[in-house]
This record gives sequence, C-alpha cells and structure tokens, in this order.
Amino acid sequence: MPPPGGTPPPHPPPDGGWGWVVVGAAFISIGFSYAFPKAVTVFFKEIQLLFNTTYSEIAWISSTMLAVMYAGGPISSVLVNKYGSRPVVMVGGLLCCLGMVSASYSTNVVELYFTMGLICGLGLAFNLQPALTIIGKYFYKKRPVANGLAMAGSPVFLSTLAPFNQYLFNTYGWKGSFMILGGLLLNCCVAGSLMRPVEPKASTESKNKVGVRETDCSMKKRQKKLSVWEEINKYLDFSLFKHRGFLIYLSGNVIMFLGFFAPVIFLAPYAKDKGIDEYSAAFLLSVMAFVDMFARPTVGLIANSKLIRPRIQYFFSFAVMFTGICHLLCALAEDYTSLVVYAVFFGLGFGSVSSVLFETLMDLVGAQRFSSAVGLVTVVECCPVLLGPPLAGKLVDETGQYKYMYLACGAIVVLASVWLLIGNAANYRLLAREKKKSIHTKESQETEPLKTSQSPSVNIKSGKNEEWKGAEVNSSERETNI
Amino acid sequence: MRALQGLRGLGAVLPLLLLCFLAALRRSLEHGLSTAAPFKSLPVQEEMMTKYSNLSLESHNISVTAAPFTSLPVQEEMMTKSSNLSLESHSISMTAAPFTSLPVQEEMMTKSSNLSLESHSISMTAMPIKENNKGNQICVDRGIMLQRNVTLEHSNMPVEKNITLERPSNVELICQFTPSGDLNSVNVTWKKGDKLLEDNYLVNATGGTLYTQHRVAVINSKQMGSYSCFFGEKKQQRGTFNLKVPEINGQNKPLITYLGDSVVLMCKCQDCLPLNWTWYGGNGSVQVPIGVPVNDKYVISGKHANETRLKITQLSEDDQGTYLCHAIFELGESEGHVKLVVLSYLVPLKVFCAIAAEVVLLVAAILLFEMYTQKKKKPSDDGKEFEQGEQLKLDDSNGIENSGPRHRKNESVGQ
Repeated sequence: MPPPGGTPPPHPPPDGGWGWVVVGAAFISIGFSYAFPKAVTVFFKEIQLLFNTTYSEIAWISSTMLAVMYAGGPISSVLVNKYGSRPVVMVGGLLCCLGMVSASYSTNVVELYFTMGLICGLGLAFNLQPALTIIGKYFYKKRPVANGLAMAGSPVFLSTLAPFNQYLFNTYGWKGSFMILGGLLLNCCVAGSLMRPVEPKASTESKNKVGVRETDCSMKKRQKKLSVWEEINKYLDFSLFKHRGFLIYLSGNVIMFLGFFAPVIFLAPYAKDKGIDEYSAAFLLSVMAFVDMFARPTVGLIANSKLIRPRIQYFFSFAVMFTGICHLLCALAEDYTSLVVYAVFFGLGFGSVSSVLFETLMDLVGAQRFSSAVGLVTVVECCPVLLGPPLAGKLVDETGQYKYMYLACGAIVVLASVWLLIGNAANYRLLAREKKKSIHTKESQETEPLKTSQSPSVNIKSGKNEEWKGAEVNSSERETNI
Repeated sequence: MRALQGLRGLGAVLPLLLLCFLAALRRSLEHGLSTAAPFKSLPVQEEMMTKYSNLSLESHNISVTAAPFTSLPVQEEMMTKSSNLSLESHSISMTAAPFTSLPVQEEMMTKSSNLSLESHSISMTAMPIKENNKGNQICVDRGIMLQRNVTLEHSNMPVEKNITLERPSNVELICQFTPSGDLNSVNVTWKKGDKLLEDNYLVNATGGTLYTQHRVAVINSKQMGSYSCFFGEKKQQRGTFNLKVPEINGQNKPLITYLGDSVVLMCKCQDCLPLNWTWYGGNGSVQVPIGVPVNDKYVISGKHANETRLKITQLSEDDQGTYLCHAIFELGESEGHVKLVVLSYLVPLKVFCAIAAEVVLLVAAILLFEMYTQKKKKPSDDGKEFEQGEQLKLDDSNGIENSGPRHRKNESVGQ
C-alpha cells in the first residue's frame, strides 16, 4: 500500500519564502488556463459572419480548447515528471502564443479548430498541471491557502479578460486581437520562469550519483529490474488506479462535473427567460464572479485551520453539497432579487469547491504522485465537463423550462457529495487502521535505520524521522530549510 | 358627412355605375400588377386611383348603409377588392395634461390653453391596425378593426406617431379632439407637410368629441410623409402621423480590418422584406454603386431577403470609409451605414513585439537573478556534495565525525 497521502514529501517543502512568488506564478498560469477559453467568445460573432458558419460551429472552438486542455493532462504530467514544472510551463506559453498568432492568419473554421483549439489548448494544458503540481512541491503546512490563492486566478482573469477582449476587438478587430492575445499569453513564460525547482541542483546530482529515486525507499530495489509496467509508471503513475482515495475522488468528481458547469452557462439565459433585461442578467454573472474571487482564498484559509485540515475531505463534500442545494433552491427563484441571492450563494459554493478541488487530491495522493494524479483526473473529467452543458441544454429544450435543468443539476451534485462523504468516511477509517498497523511494524524496524536507508536526506534527518512519519501537521520543526 | 344630405339622392344610381366601372378597372389592374415591373405600372394605377378617389369622395358620404356583413361603406370594400390593397387605419389621440413633461407640441398647447379662457382637453388616440392582404376576408376584418378604431382612449401619448409602411396600402388616419367649448367653432384641417389638403377627409361630431378621418391610398413614395390634423387656428392643437419606410440596421461600430484581408458587411431589416438591395461605397461625398461591373472583389449575397451581405476581398487603403446599403421598397428607399476601417498589419504587430520584448526582458531578468543567487550558494554547494559523498561512505558511523561540517552546512544554508 503506498504511503498515506497525508505525509509530506521527503524533501521538506519551504512553505514560504520563494513559495509565495510561485503562488503568484501559478495564479497567472491557472488564470489563463481557465479564463481564456471563456473569454474568447467575444470574437465569435464577427468570425461567424466572416466564415459564414453557424454559431454552434464557432462555439465548438471554445469547447475544443477546453477539451484539449483537459485531455492534455497526462502528456503534461509525463513531461512534468521528467523535466519538472518550469520548462513545461515555458513551452506551454510558447505553444499558446504560436496557436493564437497562427489563428489570426486562418481563413476558415477548421483552421481555427486546429490552431486555437488544439495548439492553444495544449499550451494551456502545459500551464495548468505544472502550476498545480509545483504548489504541492513548495507548500505543505500552508498548502490549502496557497491552493486557494492560486485558484483565485481563474475568476480574476475572467473578469479582466472579458472587457479587455472587448476593448481589443473594438480597436484592432479580431485578427489584431488574436495576435495581441498571443503576445499576452507569452507572459505564461514569465510565470514559468518564476517556478524554480524545489531541490537545488547539487543534491539532485548527488542523488543521481548514488542512483536513488525521490520516492519510496523500496522503489530502489525495483529500479534494478525495470519491467514494462514500471517503465510506464515512471512517466505516468497508473498505479494510482489502485489507490482507494484516488478512485473515490475520481468517481465523485465525474458525477459532480456533469451538473457543475451547466448552471453557470445557463444563468444569463435563465434570467432573460424570467423577463429580466440583458444587462441585469449579465450583472448576475459578475456578482457570481466577484463572490468567487474572494471566496477562494478565504475558503483556502478556512481549510488550512487546525479544525478542518485533517478532515478536509469532509469539508470538500460539504462544499459540494452546499452548491447542489443552491441549485435545487434556484428552481424556486421567481424574481430578480432571489436570483441575485442565488448568484451570491452559488459564487460562494463554486469558489469553495474550486479552492479545495486540487487540495483534496493532493491530500489523498501526496505531492509526489500529484502530477500524475492530476493528469489522469483531468483526462477522465474531460467527458462530463464537455457533456454536461449540451445535455443540460437538451433538457431545457425538451421540458421548455430552465427550472427542471436546475433541479437535475442540483440532484446530481448532491448525489456526488453524498458519495464523496460516504467514500471518504470509509477511507479515513481504513487509513487510520493502516496507520496503526504501520506504526507497529516500523517500531520493530527502528533498530537498523542507518544501514538500510539509502537516501542521504533521510540520513541527515535521521533524528527527525518520526516527525515525518505521522500525518499530523503541527510540527514546528518543518520550518527548517534544508 | 356634411355633404351626405345633399348627395343622398344619387345613392341608388352611383354604386351601380361604380360596379361597372370597377369591373373594367379590375381586369386592367390585375393585369397591370401581375406582369409589369413595379415602377412601370404604378403611374397608370395611380391615375385610375385618383379618378376613383374623386368618385369615392362623393360616394363615400352616401353609403353609410353598407353591405350587411360589415359596417363599412361599400366602396371601401370594392376599393380593396379591385386594387388588391389593404386598408390600414390609424388614429391618433392626444391629451394635454398641464403638469406633465410633454413633448414640445403638447407643451406649447398647454401654454396656449392656459392663456385662453377656455380649458381644452384634447384627446387623440393612436391605434395601429395590422394590414391584411387576403382577398375577401378583409371586409369582415376591417369591420372589426374600424369598430375598434372608434374607441376613445384618453392617454398621454405624444402627438406624433411614426407609422412604418412596407407595402402599398390604404391608410386611415383618425384624430379625435374634445374641446370644452363649442364644437362647431373648431375648424378642422389636414395638411401634408405644409400643403393643405382639400379632400379625402371626414369630420364628425358626436357627444363632445370632434372626430376627423383622413384616408390615404399609399401607392408609392409620393404619398409618404407627414400628415397633420389641425383643430382650430392654433398650430399647437394638432396630431402628426409620419409615414415612413422601415429602417435598416447597419453596424453601429466601425469594422476594423487589415490590408489584403476580406470582410463581410451586413445590413439587416427587422420584419420587413425589401424588393431589392444595393450597396454604395462612399469615399467622401461621392456615392459609387458597388457590384455594377461584376468583379471578384465584391460579392453581394442575399439581394431578396431581409438581410444582405457584401463581401469585400483584397482590402486596400482605398476601401476605407462608410458603405451604404440601400433597401428599395415600393414606397421608397431606406439606408443603413457600415463603417470600414482598414489598418496595416504593423499596428497590432508593434503591440505584439512590445509585449514579446517585455516578456523576454522579464524572463532574462528572473533567470539571471536566479543564477546570481545560486552562484552565491555554489561554494557551499560543492562542499555539501563532498559531505554527502563522505556520509554515504561513512554509513556505519553515527555521523559524529560529520557533525562539524554538517553544522557548518546548516549554517550556510540557513542564510
């Protein structure tokens, strides 16, 4: 059984210092990744007119970008596992720029699918996963706060990019705007350059000298006889599919994402359907984004507290349940005020879920396997994320009312939360049992630590080994930088 | 209505004459409408219509006792049948309430009424009626419409009403006025623009309300314009009907394009179907029609739909400016504007290069800073490497020998 995810990595994360700069860099990367596909829709009307296509064909550009961003997760994970976050993010920035600049020269929709959808989407994928991974490498004690702050990039960038894109469109037309946006995406390279690798180069070299892996001590034995399976796992850890916590997380999230994004997309049409004018309907989305912006770091802080952190999986389940109940209650909304209230609470729910979304995954699998985990999670989540809104749209068309769509989405999300709650409760119990077992066995092995241990880092910290074993967070000795 | 009594005697004979005349008229009209191009046959029709309207003035007053299934005068029914035109009735009702913020006309009216000893309450209602082009059904529908028309509505609507007409139709304009003084002392006149209209209107007085009705057979653009009903000599007591063709929506914001590019300009008409669209390119004040010598550069699509598109390829600086799309209706023309701006590729390219330069600078600065800080660590790093190597060799020991260097290393790293 792999070590419980609660344990910190062998190289202690700095939990501060340069870490906060890395959080800023991740803020930029995550902001571009999530906000960009939504913000480019401003240009679609004119492009549709020029290329003489239907609106749905144009809307597929955004969907393709999102799909490739999620599906490119495993590729990104493999590269991060091999080369680290920094080069991958910089390559991602260059790819995005290349994609957008070539999109400005395109003459038909298919070319746009290829340049904007595929190339730019891949570039965004190379931004998202490494940004999330490096937070786990830099933080342990304050990881939820760091995650919350970094994830806040998404609403901030969305609220800035949307009007900025409108301005660009009015001044430069769609072609010029694409070129300038390509330039803007180059700033991801700046973010990438800030993502310094955690371990200094010297220790890596020395480790390579003795040929020791970063991960489990036991892996050293296996390295001598690398089977095909192990080779693949070196790049992308498929053994995660045997990880109980990972499977619970994955299944819960798949169910949740089916009903997660549709309410956001249909909020404005729902309001217009109730007779509210266009600008007030758009204002609802702004309210949601505004609340979301502040909810994410705040919830990150809450999740970091002593009370919540050990039970963060329950916290995540409750956040999901809160969002689901919001959707269910939205079906009761009749006038504009109640919709505004819904938007506020939805923003709160959306923000809290997004804030701890990746934090819980890190908590389950640990920072070492996180890069593979996030790649696998995003590629599987690709399906419900893409299928959710069209299915919801179909439901609206069939029933003729938005109310039923909200009820359905709310029910799905609540179901996901219940599943996560039960699954994680069971997981926690089993983990506690295993911990007790491992403590017993380790106590018996304590007599011969220096002979059998290979990693020099373990050697150095031999006196402090016990602290790293426990899943408890409150050790103050972790502050030391080695 | 006033001439009613005098001409009642002719009542029996005239409708028969009319029927004969119209039978002959109908065949020629139908023939004219179906085969000829719109601009050729209209003058002929108009001539006949004028003749006919001269007739109708007289006969109109007679046949108030109309055909059984409708409360309409007979000739209206015939007029519609024979001309294949529809009847539209509009009436304006306006009220002057002294203490509200009214449009200018009403304001002046209020002032004037305050000055005069009599207090006037003028009510004019405006009720648009949908046109109906289906053959015989018109009679019944119109009957209902007319009845609806007569309903008095006191409302604070402005005294001006815009009526959008797309196809030739018969328009009925009704003004109702409630003076507080003597009804008969009020002189009712109709004007088209500034020209006083002598015929084609009725005045009726029922209760305390003066009711005047003016019928216009709108065939072509000559009948379009501003029609006003005046009550009395005061210029402020009037209602105005503006007969217009539908408006065209171009594009409000200028379209930004680049040299060598292609662009699509679109003009749209809501709920209307023009006969034809034409595009004009405007460089300064000269309007040059586009697409007349058909070439590859300009492609016009959707000439007979409610929207039209002009695709321009191989854009150059000369193509900059305002483009006009003319929609031609039977009753006139309407146009929309689309502004085109052609920029050089250098404009966004400069911005792109500026951003790229900034990015390169920042990345270089960050990486240099990192290398600089790492260089500082390097001497101690070499020592660290050495120490680790030694430690691995001295695995068996408890590390007491290394406590000294380890201490030192910790200190240096701690910095």
